[in-house]
Amino acid sequence: MKLSLNWIKDYVKLPEDMDLSRLAYDLTMSTVEVEGVHDLGKDFDKMIVGVIEEVVPHPNADALRICRVDIGGGEIKEIVCGGTNLENGMKVLVACPGAMVRWHGEGDLVEIKNAKLRGVASFGMICASVEVGLADLFPVSDTHEIMDLSYLDVPAGTPVAKALDLDDMILEIDNKSMTNRPDLWGHYGIARELAALYDLPLVEFTPYTPDTEVPYDVRIANGDKCPRYIGAKIEGLSVKPAPYKMQSRIWRVGMRPINALVDVTNYVMLALGQPTHVFDSNHIIDHIEVRPANEGEKLTLLNGKELELVADDLVIADAEGAVALAGVMGGAKDSVLPETESVILEVANFDSKSVRRTALRYDNRTEASSRFEKAVDPERCDLAVSMAMELFGELYPEMKVTAYNDQYVNKLVKKEIDVDFDWLDRRLGMRIPQEIVARKLGAMGYEVTFTETGMHIVVPTWRSTGDVSIKADIMEEVARMYGYENFQPTPITTTFDAAINQLDMDLVRKVKEYLAFRCDMQEIFTYPWMTDNFVNAILPTTEGVLALSTPPSPTEKYVRSTLLPNICKAIVKNERNFDEFSIFEEAQIFADRDYTSPYDEVEKLPYQAKHLGCAFVGKAERISELFRTAKGVIESMPRFTHMEGFTFKKEEKPYWADDTVWMNVYLNDTKIGDIALLSRKAAMTCGIKVLSAVLVELNMDAFKPLKSRTNKYTRLPEFPMNDYDLSFLVDSMVKWDDILAAINTKKPALLQNVLFVDEYKGKQVPEGKKSMTIRLVIGSGEKTLTSAEIEQVANNIIKKLTKTLSADIRSV
Amino acid sequence: MKEKLDALLRDGAAKIQAAKNETELQEIKGALLGKQGAVTELLKEIPKLDVSLRPEMGKAVNNVKNLLAEQIAGRREELKLKASEIAPDFDCTLPGIAPKMGGLHPITQMCYDLNDAFRSMGFEVFQGPEITSEYYAFDNLNFPPNHPARESMDTYWLEGHDSGEANEKLCLRPHLTGGSVRYMQTHKPPYRFVYPGRVYRNETTDARHERAFFQYEALIVDKDLTYTSGKVMIKSILSKVFGVDVPVRMRAGFFPFVEPGFEIDMGCLVCGGKGCSVCKHVGWIEIMPGGTPHPNVLRAAGVDPDEYTGFYVNIGLDRLVMMRYGVDDVRLFHGTDLRFLGQFH
Repeated sequence: MKLSLNWIKDYVKLPEDMDLSRLAYDLTMSTVEVEGVHDLGKDFDKMIVGVIEEVVPHPNADALRICRVDIGGGEIKEIVCGGTNLENGMKVLVACPGAMVRWHGEGDLVEIKNAKLRGVASFGMICASVEVGLADLFPVSDTHEIMDLSYLDVPAGTPVAKALDLDDMILEIDNKSMTNRPDLWGHYGIARELAALYDLPLVEFTPYTPDTEVPYDVRIANGDKCPRYIGAKIEGLSVKPAPYKMQSRIWRVGMRPINALVDVTNYVMLALGQPTHVFDSNHIIDHIEVRPANEGEKLTLLNGKELELVADDLVIADAEGAVALAGVMGGAKDSVLPETESVILEVANFDSKSVRRTALRYDNRTEASSRFEKAVDPERCDLAVSMAMELFGELYPEMKVTAYNDQYVNKLVKKEIDVDFDWLDRRLGMRIPQEIVARKLGAMGYEVTFTETGMHIVVPTWRSTGDVSIKADIMEEVARMYGYENFQPTPITTTFDAAINQLDMDLVRKVKEYLAFRCDMQEIFTYPWMTDNFVNAILPTTEGVLALSTPPSPTEKYVRSTLLPNICKAIVKNERNFDEFSIFEEAQIFADRDYTSPYDEVEKLPYQAKHLGCAFVGKAERISELFRTAKGVIESMPRFTHMEGFTFKKEEKPYWADDTVWMNVYLNDTKIGDIALLSRKAAMTCGIKVLSAVLVELNMDAFKPLKSRTNKYTRLPEFPMNDYDLSFLVDSMVKWDDILAAINTKKPALLQNVLFVDEYKGKQVPEGKKSMTIRLVIGSGEKTLTSAEIEQVANNIIKKLTKTLSADIRSV
Repeated sequence: MKEKLDALLRDGAAKIQAAKNETELQEIKGALLGKQGAVTELLKEIPKLDVSLRPEMGKAVNNVKNLLAEQIAGRREELKLKASEIAPDFDCTLPGIAPKMGGLHPITQMCYDLNDAFRSMGFEVFQGPEITSEYYAFDNLNFPPNHPARESMDTYWLEGHDSGEANEKLCLRPHLTGGSVRYMQTHKPPYRFVYPGRVYRNETTDARHERAFFQYEALIVDKDLTYTSGKVMIKSILSKVFGVDVPVRMRAGFFPFVEPGFEIDMGCLVCGGKGCSVCKHVGWIEIMPGGTPHPNVLRAAGVDPDEYTGFYVNIGLDRLVMMRYGVDDVRLFHGTDLRFLGQFH
């Protein structure tokens, strides 16, 4: 919202030497956010009123002429101009060198410089209204028409800002910072805040008393939706332009002047925050009725929109049908028309929710609806009627109110609040002197009665529509007016109770840091919704998957029940730039089942769990390595992050997994996830072009953190351990688990450990076989072994491997 | 011959000591003790000597030979210890081999920095469900029944759960504050906790707006707490996280779940408060709403608002990270692009 400082000064007398940046700062700190202060006069810097002494033809151009212009101080300058309406004696707007104008009203602002036009030197420029941003106030039929300021009673050389009263500051207020303050949506409301801030008097309005006894026929069908409606028939009017001052004020705060009748209603709204409307009284048949719309009732709005209304809409109607959408916009047929001579003035109050719903339903939010939807004070109507009548009176001395009716059917009750000083002092951390409290609250319209221990407060009507209702609100009023910056900082005290011990929270962090810093993986974040093709790749069915009512896009409807679809999407994205990477994500997943809530008996939340998803991505020839890397990361995770360990089993192939390369991850006897190669088919459905990916998904909620570090100390061996490497050929289908099982049957006591060294399949070994190299760690805690003793253990193993697995020992 | 021997020993020893490397040493060895070496030549001359002189001179020459051989061996050991194990063309200016490249998401980093700061002040970390009922998303928080945020244009409602009573309607959480009520319901005041998490809004996205973004809520509930304590808390936390003294200001703001409510600004760290494009030339950046929890919110959480009060802030993590690093597009955070994510360690 834009506010004119000059306009505000109509209602509160700010000191002439008021520091504007201070004012903007104070308003920001105490009331609303001032986003910017625009010096309107600066826009007209180096622009003056000049008087054309003589117009002569241009020697080199038919369309141009040379004006000899008096620019004040006895100086006459020659200015080349293409204007079509140039005349001797005309007062014109001269942009002197240094001024900023917009050529023909288009493009960026450019600086005026002394220049030669077709060989003739020209001092500055004689401007059309579009070139200086004044087209709304000085409308023209073509852009070659020069702004005629001859009506101004000012001498040549007068600055334009002064001549046209444009020396003003425009405050830009962030609308979001005052959604809770319907009283601030006009100049008067902000003036009241400034009056309270700076202890200055605020101008009061004299209530309007109609001088007619004739009641205008106003009927309100539903007092909840329309608490008040004032209808006044005014005669002796006509359609003409409003005076310059009114037009100029409306224009500088961002609206367009239309004609005097409409401008008065807009002026009142901008001044007081109370929207008003005028109907052509010849078009209002018999009476005004505020009622719900009939289903399907038609109404064409002032902006040309044709609506088919529903019963939830509130309309203003006459005996024949709807004439306006209440609180939103007037109808085209019955509002001010070129021939209008008498009007029905509407000053009314409508229910905020109803106006909001209707404005949204037809995507037709207006200055009026955006004010009504904040819940305007019904008693604001009194001020609005008073101001409107005064303005009509000034503009149309012949005007006469011939019928009047104020239907105030749902009277607003002022809120009353008791505030205890003891409570207030504790919450504020200090005692603010009573006289300051009284003065500030009084200036904002509160009626305060002090008692021995506190105060009884009656809230003004304009703050009683939902804004102020409890004692905390009063505390805020006192504190912000006293100045938030005037409170001393107080440190927070704490009592020692127990150390914070959150094993589950710590575990999540340990896991993430383990993956990032020890396992070379990058954490990613993805959205909770999944894209359809990735869903199809990962899930056999969408049964049990939750969906959004209004998804971000039609193909992103499903809410994730697994992290893998979005991880696959991240693979597609990064495949372009990398041929090797590993990523992980920790996030919540959801499922349409197990509805419950640990917080509330009646609340039913769906299944939600914290999952961990990983991808190890690389070229196809590295699949074995990718899988073993992934497995190593998961295998070692419990040990490095101090939680109960995992086991791997082959029980149930994940839908998306390759037929061979997959395992299930178990914690105790519960399956908590999978590790597997993404099948070629699934990868193609995802659009992963060349790379292969081993994916892991684990349910982190199942992780069981250990209470402390679980490292075990083993005494260092006193006698040497001996590495004994063994290579042999076995059937390629023989698994590592089979080899271990063979070795561990009747294991020799001196065999301390068996390690995997290498596996080889290929040219060097026969078809269907593979070469394995393993390392036997042989040793004793009691003595140094002799080579004969070592050989004995090795031979025992060789015998077992040969016998159980038909291993063909190659080398020892 | 005696003088010759002495000179040979003297010169030889000097040359051996001057040898700079094995090659030079070999050359010197050849020149002294080789087949045509000076000492060998002398030995060859012994048979030409008078018989009586032969034993003595033979002994003397052999003695010199042994002395020189000893010195060569000694010098060789010396050179061996001194020598580099690698050829002299080794290039020390080659770039180092970088350590592993994995990392946490920049939002997680900021979140952990804040966790560390808050924990050092005795705060617990809380996490809550991302799908919530309308009851916890709005009703508990003093949002009026027709508040615009409740409509589908602003909130992601779940299909099949988008109508009915407030406890039946489900949505992706539009903010964290409802979750804080869950903590409060299950704990006894006084308490202080933080609640980091992701929230969702049904919006059109651009460089400054996202459908999913991160909030970081902190709440103290205690007796006799004033808003100025909250200011002290925020200032200490931000100063710790950013490593410099961060100016903080609190100004009037309105949010349904706090009373009084504040907009909390931090001094722009880019320009030091002088005004720049990052802070829109005001020197301050709006980073969080805050205030005293509204009595209705405390009541919904089972806390007596006459006995207890509190202080609450809700930090926009995305904005904080964007300012910390000068990131100019909020959508990068969910973009999964490793070229972006790999920049933060």
